[in-house]
Amino acid sequence: MNDLAQSTAAPIITARGLRKRFGNAEILHGLDFDIPPGRIYGLVGHNGAGKTTTLNAILGLTSYEGTVRVLGEDPFEKRARLMQNVAFISDVASLPRFLRVRELFALLTNIHPNFSQEKARGFLDGTDVKMEARIRNLSKGMIAQLHLAVVMAIDARLLVLDEPTLGLDITYRKRFYRRLLEDYMTEERTLLITTHQVDEIEFMLSDIMFIRDGALVLHMQMETVSTRYTQLIADPARLAEAQAIGPIYQETRFGQTAMVFDGVDRERLATLGAVSTPTLSDLFVALMQRGEK
Amino acid sequence: MKTLTALIRREYLEHRGAFLYAPTLILVVLLIITASGVAFGRFQLDERMALLPALKVFEFGTLALSALWALYLMAALFFYYADAFSADLRNNAMLFWKSMPVSDFGILASKMLAGLSLFPLLILAAMLLTALIVFGGTSLSALTLGIPVPSLFAYLSSLVQIGSFVVVGVALALLWYAPFFAWVGLLSTLFRRWSIPLAFLIPGLAGLAENLLFRNAGPDGGYLLSYLRHRLQFGDNRMEFGEGFLTAGPFAAGPMLGRLVASIDWAQFAGGLIVAALLVLAASAYRRRSVAA
Repeated sequence: MNDLAQSTAAPIITARGLRKRFGNAEILHGLDFDIPPGRIYGLVGHNGAGKTTTLNAILGLTSYEGTVRVLGEDPFEKRARLMQNVAFISDVASLPRFLRVRELFALLTNIHPNFSQEKARGFLDGTDVKMEARIRNLSKGMIAQLHLAVVMAIDARLLVLDEPTLGLDITYRKRFYRRLLEDYMTEERTLLITTHQVDEIEFMLSDIMFIRDGALVLHMQMETVSTRYTQLIADPARLAEAQAIGPIYQETRFGQTAMVFDGVDRERLATLGAVSTPTLSDLFVALMQRGEK
Repeated sequence: MKTLTALIRREYLEHRGAFLYAPTLILVVLLIITASGVAFGRFQLDERMALLPALKVFEFGTLALSALWALYLMAALFFYYADAFSADLRNNAMLFWKSMPVSDFGILASKMLAGLSLFPLLILAAMLLTALIVFGGTSLSALTLGIPVPSLFAYLSSLVQIGSFVVVGVALALLWYAPFFAWVGLLSTLFRRWSIPLAFLIPGLAGLAENLLFRNAGPDGGYLLSYLRHRLQFGDNRMEFGEGFLTAGPFAAGPMLGRLVASIDWAQFAGGLIVAALLVLAASAYRRRSVAA
């Protein structure tokens, strides 16, 4: 299910045989993938599927078996150097709470060679986050805005966001992603996002990876998703016919039968009911449940 | 260097309570006590003391209070290292610090250096202010009692002598005790708040085991505990220092420092610094593999 022939540019991230064990339990089972530059990747999976472990390996936060290269470097060996060109938000509450916003920016100016205090201040213009405010006194949404301002002010080639909007209300979530797209993304930058609220980021993704039980079950461009997968709301009179084609997933919604097909001609399905492209969440449910008993 | 300075400043911002606010409070209390002592005539300068009694009282008071400040510094540093090496785990901040282009060793080394540079400087400043309070108290008491008041030059000369002795003595003591600070720092990295009891429990149990297994062999209490007893003692014994102080005229730093330097086991001193560096290295190796948020 991989669609690796996407770009001729040197990949930003390469993983070959990426495995991770905690004790006797193997969490990642030999992942292979390339992430080219200038793309917006979504990494989606259930809780415990291995998303964060994969990101931790990419960010050099954990040891692993296999080979991982990020911007040509081994992330576990060269994390500190790599972080000059990689930024990440792992959790909205992870900023040091004892600092004031002004102190945080001053600190980053001296620690991070690619951080621009001017840009960070600019990103905070129009928000309720004041420079003299103590981070511990900011609301969850304000901390998210501040953290986003911090990472966007870092001139990084790769931005990794692990559940960046967890616990935020819908207004903040939408503002967060809009800001990211409008003020940060360029063709040179690559964005890798994991989230459970997959419908909220679907519009911005160029590529998608589904991970289940430590293995990639889908890795492809969004354009390919829409040509390869089809959702059919079957005409009740032709239900048996549709089922005979072999949907990868089927469920009943409000009395209607919805099916997801993989690689079936859309025109053929159109004769059996209403066809559409499944949303990522529908596809996710379909692919996650396939093969389960 | 810019990064290291910024990280040391970060330590100051996070831990200034013990090294700035608490000493300031102590100084205010000391000032109030001294002022009320002078106002109510509670300080009696003994005329039978040496030729310049007021100066001698100033020297004695300054040295005694400096010794208390030094004890405060050592205790505060012990608690500082027990906290600072795991402080990044608070409020999920570890992953923020790991997103910075600084190695784990760099972060921990900055904590170690903050405790051996900036914080002692703050306490030395408190010692200097204490000397000023003692100067004020001594001079006003001498005036009240009609005892000759030493000249400002005599006070300054004395202060320089005491200051030289205290600065060098504290610097040597900090380096002498560096492996103990690094030990509790390593334990903090591994066991967080349990580092304080474990810092004593582990050598205590090891000493007990040695005594049980190799009874009657080696020195009284066993090799380990008698070594630690010896290693915890810094410089000459107090009595000799006291005699040196009481028999001399105005305090002279040179002979006292000479005695202090001669009393140090320099092989242990150098070995201790190497052990301290290795302990910080071990702590950073563990921290590097830890992604606990």
